[in-house]
Amino acid sequence: MNFELTNEQQMLQDSVARFIQDNYDLESRAKSAASKSGFSQDHWQTMADLGWLGLGFDEADGGFGGGHVDIMLLMEQFGKGLVLEPLLASVILGGGALKRGACAELKTEILPGLIDGSRQLALAYAEEQAHFDLHDVITTARSKDDGFIINGHKSMVLHAGTADQIVVSARTSGGQIDENGISLFLIDADAEGVKRENFPTVDGLQACEVTLKDVIVGSNRLLGELDDGFAILNNVATDAILALSAEAVGAMEILYKDTVEYTQQREQFGHPLADFQVMQHRMVEMFMEYEQCKSLLYRATMEAAQGSATTQRTVHALKHLVGKSGIFIAENAVQLHGGMGMTEELRIGHYLKRMIVIDAQFGNADYHLQKFAA
Amino acid sequence: MDIELGSEDLAFREDVRGFFAENAYKAGEDYNVWRLEWFKKAAQMGGWDVPKWSKEFGGPGWTPTQHYIWEQETATATLPWDMPFGIGMVAPIIMAYGNEEQQKRFLPDIRARKVNWCQGYSEPGAGSDLAALKTKAVLSEDGTHYTVNGTKIWTTMAQIADWIFCLTRTDDSGIKQEGITFLLFPMKQKGIEVKPIITLGGAHSVNMVYFTDVSVPVENRIGEEGKGWTYAKGLLQHERTGLAGISRSIVALEKLKEQASSVKRGNGSLMDEPSFRAKVAELEIDLMASEYTELRSLASASAGSAPGPESSILKLKGTEIQQRIAKLTVEAGGIYSAAWGRGVGHKFAKAGMGGYLASRAFTIYGGASEVQKDVIAKNVLGLKRSTT
Ligand SMILES: Cc1cc2nc3c(=O)[nH]c(=O)nc-3n(C[C@H](O)[C@H](O)[C@H](O)COP(=O)(O)OP(=O)(O)OC[C@H]3O[C@@H](n4cnc5c(N)ncnc54)[C@H](O)[C@@H]3O)c2cc1C
Repeated sequence: MNFELTNEQQMLQDSVARFIQDNYDLESRAKSAASKSGFSQDHWQTMADLGWLGLGFDEADGGFGGGHVDIMLLMEQFGKGLVLEPLLASVILGGGALKRGACAELKTEILPGLIDGSRQLALAYAEEQAHFDLHDVITTARSKDDGFIINGHKSMVLHAGTADQIVVSARTSGGQIDENGISLFLIDADAEGVKRENFPTVDGLQACEVTLKDVIVGSNRLLGELDDGFAILNNVATDAILALSAEAVGAMEILYKDTVEYTQQREQFGHPLADFQVMQHRMVEMFMEYEQCKSLLYRATMEAAQGSATTQRTVHALKHLVGKSGIFIAENAVQLHGGMGMTEELRIGHYLKRMIVIDAQFGNADYHLQKFAA
Repeated sequence: MDIELGSEDLAFREDVRGFFAENAYKAGEDYNVWRLEWFKKAAQMGGWDVPKWSKEFGGPGWTPTQHYIWEQETATATLPWDMPFGIGMVAPIIMAYGNEEQQKRFLPDIRARKVNWCQGYSEPGAGSDLAALKTKAVLSEDGTHYTVNGTKIWTTMAQIADWIFCLTRTDDSGIKQEGITFLLFPMKQKGIEVKPIITLGGAHSVNMVYFTDVSVPVENRIGEEGKGWTYAKGLLQHERTGLAGISRSIVALEKLKEQASSVKRGNGSLMDEPSFRAKVAELEIDLMASEYTELRSLASASAGSAPGPESSILKLKGTEIQQRIAKLTVEAGGIYSAAWGRGVGHKFAKAGMGGYLASRAFTIYGGASEVQKDVIAKNVLGLKRSTT
């Protein structure tokens, strides 16, 4: 049992923290969010140059062979800055599907660009009727000649607007909600028949509605075995939940610390707000929830790193707690800031928005509680 | 005790329904013309344009049951938009503490919705501790006018307001609740600057308001100099009971049920999911109780007694319920609630997030919840605090 970071991990944490510190004030973030791509191309390149985009890939694939712990450290710091760059969408989602499913040739074609920042991926898994179920898929892929023809509609595809390629889940056999019969394909984002409608999300990121009409894809672009895409998708979702939870834990830390600081400065009734017992107890509760989330994050991350059989269940627990506690902490941070907490000018509200979106991604607190209890 | 509506009450309800149906907005109509016409017709019904005003000032003089019926019916009907600041907030003060001349001067325009008002209470240093306000009003030597200097914050709709009712400090030698003076003055005049504050989700409803040597005739002072705090406190009570919005929440919950039923889950809908259902049921139970808390409060108010202890919890409970409904709406929208300014997936998801973000202010304005609880502890339970 050891919670100490290795020297490399410590260096990674420090360098990400420094990057956030130096680059991610609210104003610069707003500027990047308002740009066409919705994030800073310069930051993206820096992240690639510092090796962060390759952390999750084996050395054989051109990556840096980092593990779950490294990604956790990275994402926790990203959460503190409310980072906009599409690391989750491109590397953890798109790249996660590729590293698990692509043949050697396809990896050689795609991964180097993904890791050096010149190529961006996205993952189109959600459909309107599916709520949070990854296996509820109507989009179809029919085999034709030496490939497939894809038709359907994918929703809320994170950062698809700037992606070069999109990994798409489609039904190749079985019924609408069967886990079997789902296959993953890598399509070009500007292929004929692909329509992307880009829009902002409430937390300042971007997503697309993606319509696929008779999109032709070669069979060499099938990821994993035919009909067997769900297992890959599920593992990618596990990684995504771990990454999002780390981000949420970073955001929680900012929220409770900002609140502790603000209430010590703001005076009403001749006392700092932090003198009032009601305030103190509430902040203690926020702090407790944060620590509990961090503990469960460590537990889930280390189980995943070891490939433990209980990982899936612990990840359900984690996403439940992070969703519930994250919103509790964020809502109370706003409340304890009073009117100031409601302004766009203070960062508190921006963390609340992010927390709400994190809860809604890959299944909310309720959804994972049910999965855990099942 | 009896909950049966009598035949007179049933007839009243029919009248109200009939009136709403007859005067509903019709597509294509000029909205502003319709709005003013609606209030005129409501006035002809005998004060229906100002339901909460007393009979003396032209209100309908309803029984608590009639008020309750009105509340219920307005929650589902589409009424013209109305701001609370004139009709609901400054008018009761003018009635209670203004002189006859002020009543004649201000009430008719308020009633006709000709003048928009805003509330200038909070200041950067005076939020929950409102009595700490510093905006200074100095009476001229000849006693004809005040000169006002200072800064207000969070002033809702100051950007469109014609008039402001404002708490100012005329004396800071004694305890802070004394020396506060209640002034009314026009917003569109020299020395007043309004700067927007953007709240979560990008809305502009609140403002900073700066006063530099604003001149206010002494005739615009309500009541006595230095007594403004007493007047304002009476008003805050009005504001708070008005913020509970129980009837509106009942309607909102029904809407949420419909929305959740439209979200497919497996073979059923989100409404079939036990955990979601349970949260909706909890809200429904809270609303059943709150509806009767409101009725009890209404009954004791109309019996002429001071608002009973039950009224003190209405703002707390009501706003908490509104927030829970807003949050469940976001939850029902799932990932689609995240799409901003654009309908994606479920139709209702687009409005849900904005509603949720705005709802976070409900437990902050009109007395933040923590402070409200302090007030109840002190005034209702009679508790003392040994430390801060
Ligand atoms: C959307 C919106 C609209 C508004 N509209 C208007 C308007 O039109 N006109 C107007 O005058 N004002 C308006 N307000 C201001 C509103 O009344 C104040 O925000 C409110 O009184 C709280 O003050 P504050 O924001 O300064 O918070 P603070 O007083 O700084 O309070 C911050 C936190 O500390 C807590 N706290 C404070 N004192 C204590 C205590 N003694 N014990 C325990 N906890 C305590 C509060 O509960 C809160 O959680 C509006 C506010 C908002 C957000």
